[in-house]
Amino acid sequence: MLPLLRAIWQADAAFPSGAFAFSYGIEGALALRPDMSLGEFERLCAAVLQQRWASYDRIALQRAFRAGRDLDALAAVDREIEASTMIEALRAGSRRNGASFLAAHARLGQPLALKLRAQVKAGDCLGHIAVMQGAIWAALQLDEQHAALCSAYTVASGLITAAVRLGAVGALQGQSVLQALLPLIDALVATPLDDDAELESFIPILDIAAARHVHAELRLFAN
Amino acid sequence: MLHALRQAKAQATATVAARVGIGGPVGSGKTALIEALIPVLQRRGVDFAVVTNDLVTKEDAERLRRSGLIDPDRVSAVEAGACPHTVIREDPTLNIAAGDELEARFPGVELILFESGGDNLASTFSLDLVDWWIFVIDVAGGDDIPRKRGPGLLRCDLLVVNKIDLAPHVGVDLDRMLADARQVRGGKPVIATNLKAGTGVEAVADAISAAVLFRI
Ligand SMILES: Nc1nc2c(ncn2[C@@H]2O[C@H](COP(=O)(O)OP(=O)(O)O)[C@@H](O)[C@H]2O)c(=O)[nH]1
Ligand SMILES: [Mg+2]
Repeated sequence: MLPLLRAIWQADAAFPSGAFAFSYGIEGALALRPDMSLGEFERLCAAVLQQRWASYDRIALQRAFRAGRDLDALAAVDREIEASTMIEALRAGSRRNGASFLAAHARLGQPLALKLRAQVKAGDCLGHIAVMQGAIWAALQLDEQHAALCSAYTVASGLITAAVRLGAVGALQGQSVLQALLPLIDALVATPLDDDAELESFIPILDIAAARHVHAELRLFAN
Repeated sequence: MLHALRQAKAQATATVAARVGIGGPVGSGKTALIEALIPVLQRRGVDFAVVTNDLVTKEDAERLRRSGLIDPDRVSAVEAGACPHTVIREDPTLNIAAGDELEARFPGVELILFESGGDNLASTFSLDLVDWWIFVIDVAGGDDIPRKRGPGLLRCDLLVVNKIDLAPHVGVDLDRMLADARQVRGGKPVIATNLKAGTGVEAVADAISAAVLFRI
């Protein structure tokens, strides 16, 4: 049961990792579509999971998880994310979230987190969140599938928390969306991943919204 | 051997800046306090940087950067995700990382000031993030504020009561407000300031120096 408990620990929103400040583009999307219905919001969350998480974050997460303590391999996945994320706001957000996540684990004394933090400091590694999660969760001995569940769940619950805080959906409406997304997360994680899968992400409304968000006068979330 | 150890320890501590939080309600004068402290700290030769936690984009960071008082690169902005409480208390990791990043960029930095985005009297700083923290209230908020015993006001290391120039205009009995504040804080320090005129700023700088820079 310990691997499962560790995954619950890492998926818990109470674990301080900076994730609460990132809206995964939702803030920008809601600014473009302020009258979004709950159904549309749910479809948007599903699209994030299918078209960004499953084809992008998950691949980076798994590669990092398998790279384990190999710092060069981790840096390579990290560079690939940097090169393939077109939108600067998402790139910078992913690095900042990664830095916060590392700061938490470094403060907890996790040896790999201390090494990775030094690498980021020295500029040898950029520290994208999916890569840091994969590496640290492997070091913390989570099970690989649990790590994927944990990653997808934190993205879904992060989207919902952001929408609740922006006043776009109610706290319980948000939980009904999250509940409806659980089978999708389960199915996505159950689908095996090719070793040579390429990182791909394209969600027009979120990409456009995130790109516009950088210039927004009034914004609460970092992306 | 002992000498080498001491030297290593001195080096290790030399790279770690003291971290000081500045919290308090929106509009109480947190940014104004930083603006007033900047020239005083500079005159005292303190090597410092600032992290702001704006609720809305980077307003305070931009205000400090444009002030011409400080090298704009020494001001970092953390967006608080609509949660000014969370970013200094439940999840201070964004701020911790921003502080680490400033330390890496400015190796000699001795002091990092963290300005909270500001919210109500309940906000407190996590001691994971800061070594010592200030809470700023202002007289225009009313002289009953100390008696409301908010955790921010009670637990901070230094309470600053700002805008004392406004006391006569808002019908506040300043002496009584300060006495109440000292009483509910059990004698922990309280400093009255008028940041428009610079009153009390040296005393705040003295308190910071004594508490975390070990200079008197
Ligand atoms: N009269 C007076 N106004 C002040 C004083 N300190 C700050 N202010 C004004 O109060 C407003 C809010 O100050 P600011 O520093 O932005 O507050 P913050 O939200 O706590 O950072 C600004 O318009 C300041 O000029 C003071 O001591 N006296
Ligand atoms: Mg301010």
